[in-house]
Amino acid sequence: MVVLKSLPGVDSGGGATNDDAAAAKIQKNPQFVLDVFISEATQNKEKDLRIMDGASTKGVLSHLSLLEVQARSRKSERQQPSRVKELKAKAEALRTQRDQLKAEIETHKSLQKLRASMDKQCAHEEEEDEEMAEDSENSELLRLMARHTQLKDLLHAHDIIGGYSVIKTRQGKGLCVSVTTAYNGVYLENYNLEMDLKPTVRISRDNIPPFIPLKSLAEQSNMQTDIRTLLDPLSQHLNAFAARKQQLKLVKELHKSVKVMESNALCSLLVLMFTVPREKMAVLCSLEYTDHTRCLPTRVHFECEDQGLPDSPEWKKNGSLLMETPVHKALKTMKKMGDIV
Amino acid sequence: MDESTKRLLQRLMRRIQTQMLRTTLDKWGRLTGEQLRSMDFTLSKWALTEKLLAICEENELAVKHITELEMICESDVIDNPSQGMWYAFQLMDPEGTYYDAHSVELTQFKEQFKSHLRELIRHVSVKIKKHTDEAVWIRIAWGDTFSRPNHMKPTYVVHYLQTPYVFVTSLTSKQKPLLSQALVLSTRYQAIKDANLSGRKLTAIRDLLMRQYHQVFPTRYPAPIAENDQTVSNQHIEREQAEPAANRLQAACEAFGGGVLPQLQSAVYKLETKFRDHSNKTMTEREEPFKCVVKFASTNLLESLRHCASSGIASTPVTPLLSSIPLKGKNYFVITDNGPGPSSQMRQPQN
Repeated sequence: MVVLKSLPGVDSGGGATNDDAAAAKIQKNPQFVLDVFISEATQNKEKDLRIMDGASTKGVLSHLSLLEVQARSRKSERQQPSRVKELKAKAEALRTQRDQLKAEIETHKSLQKLRASMDKQCAHEEEEDEEMAEDSENSELLRLMARHTQLKDLLHAHDIIGGYSVIKTRQGKGLCVSVTTAYNGVYLENYNLEMDLKPTVRISRDNIPPFIPLKSLAEQSNMQTDIRTLLDPLSQHLNAFAARKQQLKLVKELHKSVKVMESNALCSLLVLMFTVPREKMAVLCSLEYTDHTRCLPTRVHFECEDQGLPDSPEWKKNGSLLMETPVHKALKTMKKMGDIV
Repeated sequence: MDESTKRLLQRLMRRIQTQMLRTTLDKWGRLTGEQLRSMDFTLSKWALTEKLLAICEENELAVKHITELEMICESDVIDNPSQGMWYAFQLMDPEGTYYDAHSVELTQFKEQFKSHLRELIRHVSVKIKKHTDEAVWIRIAWGDTFSRPNHMKPTYVVHYLQTPYVFVTSLTSKQKPLLSQALVLSTRYQAIKDANLSGRKLTAIRDLLMRQYHQVFPTRYPAPIAENDQTVSNQHIEREQAEPAANRLQAACEAFGGGVLPQLQSAVYKLETKFRDHSNKTMTEREEPFKCVVKFASTNLLESLRHCASSGIASTPVTPLLSSIPLKGKNYFVITDNGPGPSSQMRQPQN
């Protein structure tokens, strides 16, 4: 509302000469005053209207639209930080993995170097250790790791050749295999086989006793493709023979009261004479070892003047004892039981 | 005791060495303790023979007892100068499986051999005895349709059960087929052949054939083989030659064996190869092979050959012609143009 308050020209109290003129005019002409008043009022109204228009760009509406924009942008800004965090975390993880792998490669390289020097050391045992650049703790660990891989490889090779000691001869054209025999934790004889590899695999020399059927074992084996098909049965035969031979030796040494009536080269037959304590009777015991790959008998037979003795329960037990335990141990038990002298 | 028995005992006494006499008579066990004590072993052999003859008369011993004594002399007394050469034979083609041939028992073998031989020739005296080293000794005195067995010329046969090897001495060509037949039938093999190995000492040819001497094989860590001490002539030469000498020794021992070697007396190579010498055209042009026999003889052949190789006289690796002797267990080889190695032809025709 326009308040017609202090119109400059219409001031009754004071006033300048202009005013005086104006006032004079107003006094003179009331129509004139009214015209000025109306023109002045409309000019003010236009001014006010113009001010209000400016406030609409910087006013409420604009404020509203600004708020709208802000709200919209705030919504979209809420998703991006978490995604960025995720990606950052992933990158971090990948970086640490890369560092780990790099470290492993480094260790492996130095391990290989160490292992190569270790292998060389084994071949020429005079060489001294090479120095490691790293600190002592690290190098000690590396040394242990290298030794570990060396031993693992050695075990693997040992498995492949089945525990036999094999060496190459004649620049790889031949092999020499050594088969060891043992019984009761004691190493006995060593037997050797020298073999040609070209043009076919064949045995050229050996020191295996003639009653071991080397030739027929070789014929039955698949030694052209897998040499263990010859070595394993041969080792079985040799070890069983060595075990039986050792048992016979122990019987002779430990049981002097038992007389060995008969034996043979292959130790596949043993005839012993026992003396029964009370009646002082003699019992003839035959042990047949028809399975030459085993060191226990396949048949036990007793003969005695007293026909009933072999069928008695104690001697039946003795029979099965002799079938299941090595003869020198069985005799010990039989002596303890008082069945024999 | 009849004359022939007396002569047998006298001949036997001539062959026994005086220092072995007491132990031999002890082993024989046919003299009582008193009788044994009554023999004065410081007397001359002739006197001892007379004394022994008297004791044998006293005990009424017969020819079979004397043959026992003879067998003891042959088999138990070590280094007994044998009657002659021992020849090795090998049984071939076992019947049935390996188990069958290896399960021939002693008593079985004894009975079968005696019965088969008696079937082939009526008048024959056979004595079989087994030794602690699993050797079966057989003494055969041959007679014929008209005469009794001749104990003055017995044949000795030694067989190791469960091996195909048989060693024979004093066998004539007439007796050979009979013995072969009896052996083959009683051991469950199908044939017997000459193993081309002979020598004066049974133990030597047995050890060679049955691989009972110390063989040397290539190993990763070869143990130092003790060589006979040689006087060190020049230290510099020793130092330079140390490694080649060790290599030669190793090669020589691998070819012939280490330690004490079986004593062979000879090796014979019968060559039936074409003559090859470019400077002699007439001989080279001949079509037929040039027949030639090369014989190596020594008191201990294998030892000398090993020494040749280890001292460098024979080059190493040892030629297969020489190393075949211990490898194949033979000392008679026939070499033809067909094969590079020695062939195993028979020396005498078999039946």
